[in-house]
Amino acid sequence: MPRRMTVLACSLAGFSKQVRAAHQGESEGCRLEVDGLSLAVIAGQSLAAALVEHGVWAFRRNPITGEARGPYCGMGVCFECEVEVDDRRAVRACMTEVADGMVVRTLATPPREQ
Amino acid sequence: MTADYDAVIVGGGPAGLAASLVLAQAGARVAILEEQSELGGQYFKRRHGQILERHGDFRPAGTKLIESVRTAGVECLTEHLVWGVQDGELWTSGAKDGKLGRVRGRLTLVASGAYEKAIPFPGWTLPGVCTPGCALHFAMVDRVRIGERVLVAGSGPFLLPVACSLLEVGASVIAVLETTHPYRFSTTSLAAITYLKRMRELAQYLSTLRRHRVPIKQGWRVSEALGNAQVERIRLSSDRGQTEEVKVDALCVGYGFRPSTELPRLLGVQCRRDPVSGDLVPVIDDYGRTTTAGLYVAGEVTGIGGVDLALISGRLVGVAMALDLGLLTESRKFAVARLLATQARLRKFARLTGRLFSSDDGFRSIADDTVVCRCECVTAGTIRRASLNGWNDLQAVKGFTRAGMGPCQGRECGATVARLVADATGSAVEVFPARMPIKPIRVPTDGILMTSPQSAGPL
Repeated sequence: MPRRMTVLACSLAGFSKQVRAAHQGESEGCRLEVDGLSLAVIAGQSLAAALVEHGVWAFRRNPITGEARGPYCGMGVCFECEVEVDDRRAVRACMTEVADGMVVRTLATPPREQ
Repeated sequence: MTADYDAVIVGGGPAGLAASLVLAQAGARVAILEEQSELGGQYFKRRHGQILERHGDFRPAGTKLIESVRTAGVECLTEHLVWGVQDGELWTSGAKDGKLGRVRGRLTLVASGAYEKAIPFPGWTLPGVCTPGCALHFAMVDRVRIGERVLVAGSGPFLLPVACSLLEVGASVIAVLETTHPYRFSTTSLAAITYLKRMRELAQYLSTLRRHRVPIKQGWRVSEALGNAQVERIRLSSDRGQTEEVKVDALCVGYGFRPSTELPRLLGVQCRRDPVSGDLVPVIDDYGRTTTAGLYVAGEVTGIGGVDLALISGRLVGVAMALDLGLLTESRKFAVARLLATQARLRKFARLTGRLFSSDDGFRSIADDTVVCRCECVTAGTIRRASLNGWNDLQAVKGFTRAGMGPCQGRECGATVARLVADATGSAVEVFPARMPIKPIRVPTDGILMTSPQSAGPL
């Protein structure tokens, strides 16, 4: 019953700005392909933040030890958030805005032979 | 050689923007070179797309300032990384395409800002450990919380707004660990009370933290971060010898900021040691003129002081440059006397803050097996042993151990490596010199310039 009332209240009062924005988000849809998986992200986010929002913290491997690394400085200084974006290597995710259809490879994808 | 502009400004943050506006309004042809895709620097970083639509503007003063700068006709060359210099000419590389560029101004202003200070501890390279600035950007600009259970640690007043920003995006902040004891009565903290605007901000942060029951633990620091793929637990210790362990899914830790002086140093300016921070900063007059004719600095690169100081120093350096270009004959209409007085007062507050948060540096207690250089995975022990193994000074230790030779070029570890070498050898603390490229660039750019500097065309 309370839920029905909420629905009624919404339809009477019209959708709130947030609801409208959320719907736009769905319809405009910004999706990334990250290591072969499709992720819905919010247009305008940095790639680093968008991945962290989806629980992805391990972006790359340190070339010396092979241990996982993720975003650290968030301002383009430390180079720990480098990923491959649309076939470009060593792209700092913190300095890159997400774009619909962007193809991203993190350490989860083995490097391709070139 | 002919100049492309009257004034070229490196860095589109608060100081660079403020200076560009004064210069453009005085009739100068001005260009701003900015590495990021948007003006604003770190403090006035903009929200985009749906984040902007849903959550509104972040720091609207920045949006206004950027609009005025664009309206005033300043050429805004974003995605232009300045990576080198030759005879006063700036060499740029396109942030995305690596496209080569050369820009020359009759005058050059470097407003390159600052980056965060780190003190290494075991586990600081684990994914899920980041700087307070990173946590703040994710929260405020991207509306992403770095974790559900987050610990904020380090030192400095900046930790408080960072903790508040995490609360705003729904994170649970376990505690704010402050290495020093600034939030108590002392002659230094009493002196800060006269800075009403700062005190008001402090009161707001403290009340937000209290409302969310976030404790501020003074005298505590992170001694170790533990986890497998990602940070899971943190060991804490206090200056009284107490220890604790907490579960987290993210940690942000930082010790304030350090001026980003590579470019002014590369351009040959004389520097001095800041007595409070120990950082190397350019020697300047009250307006930001350096010891090199035609070269100016403003904002955080001159010493850490916050956004208000950066804006004022930007305005002042703009006036000085316009005067030196002969575009202004007198500076009265810019209320220079008042700006100078405010600048002096804010610098005094910055020194006060520096003293309030100054601690025993903690470098000496870094364990031998702690990784100091993140990029090259060099431990404190390796650096100490090299220092005492005949490699003597910082440069030689760098060459032998590779500490500071990775992609961050020593920005994260440089100060620590220098302290470790100085401690081990009993000599004065040195710094890594500024070298080209200032930041890693795509190889084709480098190749073209290095092999045939004469034939590289204009861009």
